[in-house]
Amino acid sequence: MRSEQEANRAIEQYAGLVRRICLMHLKNQADSEDIFQTVFMKYVLSSAVFQSEEHEKAWFVRVTINACKDLLKSFFRTHNVPLEDLTELPADTPQDTRDVLEAVLSLPKKYRDAVYLHYFEGYTAPEISKFMHKNVNTVYSLLTRSKKLLREKLGGDGNG
Amino acid sequence: MDDLLRSAFAAVEAEETLKAKTRETLFKKTRGYSVSPSRRAYRVGWAVAAVCLLLFAGLSAGLFFTPVSAISVDINPSLELEVNRFDRVIAVKGCNQDGMELAQKLDLQFMEYGKAIEALLSNSHIQAYLEQGESLSIYVACDDQQRGDAMLSTVKSCTGQQRNVHCHGGGQVESTAAHAAGLSCGKYQAFLELQSLDPSITADDVQNMTMREIRERILALSGDVSKASGHHGHNHGGRH
Repeated sequence: MRSEQEANRAIEQYAGLVRRICLMHLKNQADSEDIFQTVFMKYVLSSAVFQSEEHEKAWFVRVTINACKDLLKSFFRTHNVPLEDLTELPADTPQDTRDVLEAVLSLPKKYRDAVYLHYFEGYTAPEISKFMHKNVNTVYSLLTRSKKLLREKLGGDGNG
Repeated sequence: MDDLLRSAFAAVEAEETLKAKTRETLFKKTRGYSVSPSRRAYRVGWAVAAVCLLLFAGLSAGLFFTPVSAISVDINPSLELEVNRFDRVIAVKGCNQDGMELAQKLDLQFMEYGKAIEALLSNSHIQAYLEQGESLSIYVACDDQQRGDAMLSTVKSCTGQQRNVHCHGGGQVESTAAHAAGLSCGKYQAFLELQSLDPSITADDVQNMTMREIRERILALSGDVSKASGHHGHNHGGRH
């Protein structure tokens, strides 16, 4: 079992990453809390030895995506209507940021992880294909289609 | 587009309350990072299993060591075998001095009662008494009529080759009365029979009499030939 210091360091370092992946899958705070506890408890109990920071970060990405999927698949979730609260963002969040996030969240679920992992975390299509257990070409297609959909929603010409 | 997305995602951060709550939960669930929850679950599981096992063992032992019937064997030594619901002898008690001495020499504990009777009858002391023409009385005391009949039948089949053996059966009430009188069940039955013919006779009087002596007294007082046949025959009697 890892120490309290290691756990606190991981929470500080990866809380943002976990929170953003939660945002891609879940729409309420209570579920995010569940995922936080699940992911960081797994980390504390895991005996995995990470060769680098990138390796550790990839572990968090994979575990968080799986935890979110497990939560959505759970019996309770499938038999109860989830609370579709709007994403809780700080009050001073600019409107254009809210618009972009809402556009991302309006994408079909299968696109969201790819968009986040590529545009924010900087992962390549082959890397994303490993996280999502999908073919590399499928990931390329997801990224292309999502970009097209986002352009349509946001009305901009984009720069990438 | 890339910058727009990047800056939008950057605006999403984990709230401090969420991080604090996670830290607190981890601390609680790991009991201050000393025990992993899974190990604790194992410990609880083992503890529950141990309690169940103890309860089961206690209940089984309670059932095993509770006598549900008794077999009284009287010739001169008077013995009583306590039998549990699993047909095992759980105690051998001597009812008189000879009986106590014999009980110490015999190893009938936990033996199936039929085998115990066979072992008892083949004992050299008992054989010596039988060869001298003494009368052996076996009394099965059991409140469950069906079980009592089955036991009596088994005991009779075990004594089939022996002469001068009387087998009887009855309830535990008779057994309790016999104990209150300080006699074994078989001797108590014979005492009652004798007392019906001679009301002056007491339990103390028959305490040190052999079964043959009691039978002879009964025969003498009753003058009943049919009673005498029991003395010379074998495997007589039934449930009272």
